[in-house]
Amino acid sequence: MSAPLPAQEQAKAEEQKVSPAELKKRAKAEKQARRAAQKGGQEQDGDVGASATAPNGVNGDSSTTKHDSGATQQQHAQKPKGEKQQKGQQQQKQGRQGAQEVESHHKRTGSQSQPLPIRRRPSQSGAPPVVQQPAPKKINKQVELFSHLYTQPRRQSIEGVSKDIHPAVLALGFQMSSYEICGSSARCVAMLLAFKEAIQAYTTPAGTSLARHLTSHYLSPQIDFLKSCRPISESMGNAIRWLKKLIVEIDPDTSEQDAKDDLCERIDTFIRERITVTDQAIATSACQQIKNGSVVLTYAKSSIVERTILEAHTNATKFRVIVVDSRPLFEGKSLATSLMHAGLEVEYLPYAAISHAVKQATLVLLGAHSMLSNGRLQSRVGTASVAMQAANSDIPVIVCCESVKFSGKVALDSIVLNEVAPAEELLLPSKFASAKPAKEDTSEDAEAKPKSLGDWKDIANLQILNLMYDVTPAEYIRMVILPVVHRLANEGM
Amino acid sequence: MPHATLPTPNLQALILCGPGISLNTFTSNPSDLPKALLPVANRPMVWYPLNWLYRTGITDITLITPPESAGPLESALATNPALTALKVRPEVLAPRHLLQTTGTGELLRLPEVQACVRGDFVVVPCDFVCEVEGTRVLQQWMTLNPLSSSTSMGQKKRKGGMAIFYPTHGLEGISTKKDESDFLATVPIAKPAVPAPAGSLREGVEEVVLNMPTDTLNDKVEEGKGFLRLRQSLMERHGRVKMRMKHRDAGVYFFPFWVKAFAARNEKFDSISEDLLGWWAKAGWQEGLGEKLGLREVLEGEAKGEEMESPEAEDEIDVTQLSSTKVSWPSSSQQPAPPFASRVGPLAPPSHSPLTIPPLLAYIQPAAESSIPLIRRVDTTPQLLTISLHLAKTQPPSLAHDSKIHPSATLEQQARVSQEDCLVGENVKLGFRSNVKESVIGANCEIGRNVRLTRCLLMEGCVVGDGVVMSGCVVGRRARVEGMKGAATEFATRAGEKKGKAPADDNEDERTKLTDCEVAPNYVVEAGTEAKGEKLMGFDTEGGEDLGMEGEDEDAED
Repeated sequence: MSAPLPAQEQAKAEEQKVSPAELKKRAKAEKQARRAAQKGGQEQDGDVGASATAPNGVNGDSSTTKHDSGATQQQHAQKPKGEKQQKGQQQQKQGRQGAQEVESHHKRTGSQSQPLPIRRRPSQSGAPPVVQQPAPKKINKQVELFSHLYTQPRRQSIEGVSKDIHPAVLALGFQMSSYEICGSSARCVAMLLAFKEAIQAYTTPAGTSLARHLTSHYLSPQIDFLKSCRPISESMGNAIRWLKKLIVEIDPDTSEQDAKDDLCERIDTFIRERITVTDQAIATSACQQIKNGSVVLTYAKSSIVERTILEAHTNATKFRVIVVDSRPLFEGKSLATSLMHAGLEVEYLPYAAISHAVKQATLVLLGAHSMLSNGRLQSRVGTASVAMQAANSDIPVIVCCESVKFSGKVALDSIVLNEVAPAEELLLPSKFASAKPAKEDTSEDAEAKPKSLGDWKDIANLQILNLMYDVTPAEYIRMVILPVVHRLANEGM
Repeated sequence: MPHATLPTPNLQALILCGPGISLNTFTSNPSDLPKALLPVANRPMVWYPLNWLYRTGITDITLITPPESAGPLESALATNPALTALKVRPEVLAPRHLLQTTGTGELLRLPEVQACVRGDFVVVPCDFVCEVEGTRVLQQWMTLNPLSSSTSMGQKKRKGGMAIFYPTHGLEGISTKKDESDFLATVPIAKPAVPAPAGSLREGVEEVVLNMPTDTLNDKVEEGKGFLRLRQSLMERHGRVKMRMKHRDAGVYFFPFWVKAFAARNEKFDSISEDLLGWWAKAGWQEGLGEKLGLREVLEGEAKGEEMESPEAEDEIDVTQLSSTKVSWPSSSQQPAPPFASRVGPLAPPSHSPLTIPPLLAYIQPAAESSIPLIRRVDTTPQLLTISLHLAKTQPPSLAHDSKIHPSATLEQQARVSQEDCLVGENVKLGFRSNVKESVIGANCEIGRNVRLTRCLLMEGCVVGDGVVMSGCVVGRRARVEGMKGAATEFATRAGEKKGKAPADDNEDERTKLTDCEVAPNYVVEAGTEAKGEKLMGFDTEGGEDLGMEGEDEDAED
């Protein structure tokens, strides 16, 4: 057992003894320290080199080592990682005191004397709060610029799901988080279908009415669950707003079953009008843009673009399709496959070959995640470059978009509105993952060991950003094909 | 409890409490002790599937058992401390015509069972011990079901099924050569768009195309004179068929509701595993087989019957067509591109749209050298022993006991129990200088002095006399293994010459020694018996034993 353990124990014992007043004080100090640490962290972020070449090199415990002499530092270096983390947490909890504890402990190991309790007080108030900084710093794998987009980690297991979640919604959540259902329209439709089932399974509890209870107490948890599986899309948001409005407007006199049936019927109508028929209308009108001899360039996969192309093919137009695709979802593969099945001539190119693809293309067809109020297009990340290249070569860029995807938001860049997907998706599935030796000590030979991208969590100053969407400026877009329907009052607000 | 708040997956569970043919030493009297109540690591066998289901969030559980076993099962559910501690209250269903020999497929056809199935259901055998959380399997089943499929809304797309297969070989301490295994042919399913997150079972999920027990396989190979004949259409449909011989069907199936009708239609289905799964798997690729099995009526008829509503029904939206990670196939109404000119193509084009068979998936636990979570069926005595010992040793968190040596157990002086790999039940008395290693001792057992137990499983209420040495034995309920003189004289109701022999038992060589034996419930093993690899039970074995041990005894009888 290494020496620091008694110190921990002592610290624990200490913690139990403290009075509430002291706890309060401690919490205050901790808060201060955290604030200062954040400030420090931001400064360091600006200066990339700074933290990498930090003098002590130990990424975990520089808080204590700064104060300690060489001997303690040595001890810390020897500690296994787990213990260190535990230590770090404890420090966070205890604020300044933790560091002090180790310091006093160090004294004791030197001379076997009792720690001096008097010393704690003055140092507690007067300590420079900088020492707190490394513990949170170590685990920060979020890109600062996009920190507003990070939500809780995506749910991957059934653990901890509220038991009110309807099975259909549950299944849908997992299908969305694993990208079995992907794409704005698909998710919207699947959600509405699942809600249909959930609504049918709903019974209003006594003492309340369906219109008041259904949304807030029944649908909201379902929506929250879906959000925790994957942030909801603009189309889903629009559909939810529409549905909520519908529920509120239910005549309280209608019987419960009638109300539920009515809701389901309205949902069916919504799906038919806003997605099915709309898609058909868009495809019919968009396929007129495809002429004999056209070379249609598209990026990733959009259901409506697929439909347009297939429609044009059915009309016996002779044309060629180039599908550009990129990691990590490779949606273009599915598009290329289904077009191939339909008997079209398809060329599948990686993202790096955009300029080559644009050279041949005569028309660019794009789908949308959402259409922003300032005319910009939010779509799968990478779309903007394709559009830019095409616009530079004077190739018409045509966007097909259902009105359910219209958003009231405005964004000039891809930073404000976006979705951050788990960074692991960008890693290549490593065959060596299991063969990789378990690392206990990263602090010692961190520099020595060659690391792969798979170890990104252990590499200081490496962050991986996996964005889902980007925003294409309106000037690159020649035309947006959308159905001419009246917009619902609440839509896109 | 963390799992108390799980969302209900809207599944009901059927636990099949069968006769336990391979455990007949202990289950010969099913009205007294059915297989489902045999102790596995000091808990009734049925506790394991119940616990597993409960942790999966399934609380609507029905135990299906032959009528004669219903009584003991019900009383055990009401009184057994392990079962009453569970927060599930399963119902016991004892269909009138259910015999101990009824096949599982036939069982599903029984009117009582048919009436009891109300939705998607999961079938679990009572001897299923599993360390893999059911939620994880369930999640895969939910995720990989055809998109937006459901039972209630009359969708055209039907849910598929999910089975579990586990590797029988290569598990240290558990695998035995005699382990039954199944023949399984699978094809990979479409890869997920992104690598599955850590801890997901997705890697192990494949689609079943052929499934049969090894016996049937052997028959087929014999029929084919040393070759296994497969249909060409399998190769036409699937390029990469993987065949496994060293996995076994765990008997756990997640079934959609339509399987109920499917089982009811096909009178010839005898077992779920071989027939129902086997034919379903085959129907997925064999042209026209689905029709023969009545799958069209099962899959489509119902939907037509239950709602004759909107004319847009055929216009119904298909999420698969919209999803950007899925390949959409030309819709069925559209005539697919003409195939290559072929002389052996299907002669008559099908008159109506081809039938899509919902996929039958299987989670196939990968075999690994290192320890993997346990999935097993405990249906033979060696399995019963090894699984009990394994559980006693490892104590996986979901199946752990509160205390390895129950506080009410009394250990006399110098009695030694190796804590790490033993389980000792309630009110067990361990005699002076007894030594217990790698064993599981059931409640109310009495172990005499100087007893040595190694790798043994003692069910409830066993009495082991002084000086007995046992290793690798399974002792049934309330059986008595007599030891040296103390016990021998106490129960001496035997012929005179035997009594005369008793003092000689003091000798070290005359100790009762049992190795790899099975002792039937209530059976009394005489003092001085030495046996290896025998089944000590009822009449026949007793006679055989006498024959072996005491020649003159037999002579006298003659």
